[in-house]
Amino acid sequence: MRASPWIAPALLVALLWSLLPVYWFAKIAFLTPDEIARFPPPLWPQEPTLAAFFNIFGFDYTTAGGMLRRASGQANQIMRGLENSLIVSLVVTVVTLAIVVPLAYVFARLRFAHKEKLLFAILLAVALPPVSTLIPFYAMYVRLGLNGTLTGLIIVTLTITVPFVTWMLIGYFRNLPPVERLARIDGFSRLETFWRVMLPLGRSGIAVAAVIAFLFAWNEYTYALVLVNGTSANTLPTAISGFLFQHPEPSHLAASLLLTILPPALVAYFLQRHIGEMNLVDPIR
Amino acid sequence: MAGIRLDRVRKAFGGFVAVQGLDLDIADGEFLVLLGPSGCGKTTTLNMIAGLEQPSSGRIVFGGRDVTAEPPHTRNVAMVFQSALLYPHLTARRNIEASLRRSGLDAAERERRIAEAARLLENGELLDKLPSRMSGGQRQRVATAKAIVREPAAFLLDEPLSALDAALRQTLRAELVNLQKRLGTTTVYVTHDQVEAMTMGDRIAVMNGGRLEQVGTPGEIYGRPETLFVAGFVGSPPMNLLAGAVADGRFRAGELEVPIAGPEGRAVLGVRPQHVAVTPELAPGTLPGTVFALEHLGRESVLVLDNAAHQRLRVLVEPEFRARVGERLFLRPDPARCLLFEPESGRCF
Repeated sequence: MRASPWIAPALLVALLWSLLPVYWFAKIAFLTPDEIARFPPPLWPQEPTLAAFFNIFGFDYTTAGGMLRRASGQANQIMRGLENSLIVSLVVTVVTLAIVVPLAYVFARLRFAHKEKLLFAILLAVALPPVSTLIPFYAMYVRLGLNGTLTGLIIVTLTITVPFVTWMLIGYFRNLPPVERLARIDGFSRLETFWRVMLPLGRSGIAVAAVIAFLFAWNEYTYALVLVNGTSANTLPTAISGFLFQHPEPSHLAASLLLTILPPALVAYFLQRHIGEMNLVDPIR
Repeated sequence: MAGIRLDRVRKAFGGFVAVQGLDLDIADGEFLVLLGPSGCGKTTTLNMIAGLEQPSSGRIVFGGRDVTAEPPHTRNVAMVFQSALLYPHLTARRNIEASLRRSGLDAAERERRIAEAARLLENGELLDKLPSRMSGGQRQRVATAKAIVREPAAFLLDEPLSALDAALRQTLRAELVNLQKRLGTTTVYVTHDQVEAMTMGDRIAVMNGGRLEQVGTPGEIYGRPETLFVAGFVGSPPMNLLAGAVADGRFRAGELEVPIAGPEGRAVLGVRPQHVAVTPELAPGTLPGTVFALEHLGRESVLVLDNAAHQRLRVLVEPEFRARVGERLFLRPDPARCLLFEPESGRCF
């Protein structure tokens, strides 16, 4: 197939669309306050400085020109948010995988009674708008004392990631070749087949499932805003959104945002091979 | 090595009976082909021999040992699946090794067997490749090597060649038969392809609707089909089957009249395309037909005609034979080569 002449312009538009905002705030993170105040704004930092990154972690920074830039007043919130977000995302990822991988395998590869109805229940859970469960959760958490705790946030995040990732992984597992029969001839038990054959065989899909669970937990904002905002369990997205009401230094805001997109970017970069494999390669071959 | 006996083996999935009371004796070292259309129960039968499916009733005996309740690996069978299924995430060597994991052999013996299997199949250079990097034929060879390293009591093959192109199929067919004869391992081979069945099997078991239609050598199956189903299923081009009636020692269907001995009453006449003569002139007792197509095969041609009942008939003719589409010709089956079937039961008289 010959490449259409529209591919290059289309790609350009897509790249600009996604990268221009990133470029704009990434640039601000490296600008000096003078440069930020200038009009028209500079397209590139003349004297790039890492000051903002020190500041948001609570350190004063003296630039090469001898100018002192004070630590951000929000540093505590950012560091705590970062820590909380990492805890929530990692725990959610691990627990999601522990539940979802066996669940999706069973739904995709085994036959049992009432399977369709149970599958439909999972679909229903995916289809439910997350906001609709927010108020019941809030009311319940107040009674249980889970408000403002990481445990509470983790549980509520799992109610989204588990059905969604299960749904996604069922399709992936279903397309794997029927190696179970081969495994039985070779004398693998059912558990061994799952553990020693299906898991290594399905590693691409499982890796992508992990990325999706991680990214969802990392970016989750609505639940965090209602359940943990303003408490010691605050996560990074809500901590940063707090800047809007607190007179932020623009470079501090930009540096925090850059910090927020760093882990997802790294995860996506290191797992891109699996993501590509899952989407493009027929797993039968 | 062992012979395999199926003793009134029956398999039902819920209300659907896939295999009904099958009795089958497979001799030690024999190459038996299970032949039939899809859904006839041949793969279910093979899976029961392998131990992948439990029969609903009946017994499976390997060389005198009742293995009905045993799992696959203790039966010591090797199986090659459709499209030469391998573990996609393992190299050829690890795939072959997986066959030996429950064998209790020491590392040196395993290594020796793998090397031997690889040499036998001339695929030593393939050992470190992943299945996705192999051609269809290479995957097939690795799957075969995986099967033979175990030195199994029986090879079970489930349409292993069905996904390959015709030329490769022909090559691998001969290779598989040659290998089986060298090793002398009892083999059950499932296929829906009658050419594979005829060319490979010592004996063919034709299945239909969960029942055994006929078991016999390729010659018997082709030359003396016991049922209408076998007559119609085996042979290419297929046998011509004409419904009519027998009276006074003659089979009659429309204008066709064939002197043949058989019980009076309704009957189906079967005649292979090579046992029909074609004449341009109307003669008493011949069957008129309109030429539909003439297919050149090189060594011979297949003349395809429609009779008055809009039934398609096939006749083998010399390659020089010429006919126009729409031309009227007359067919005379060779009475000595005709078979008569009972229409209700489908049995041969």
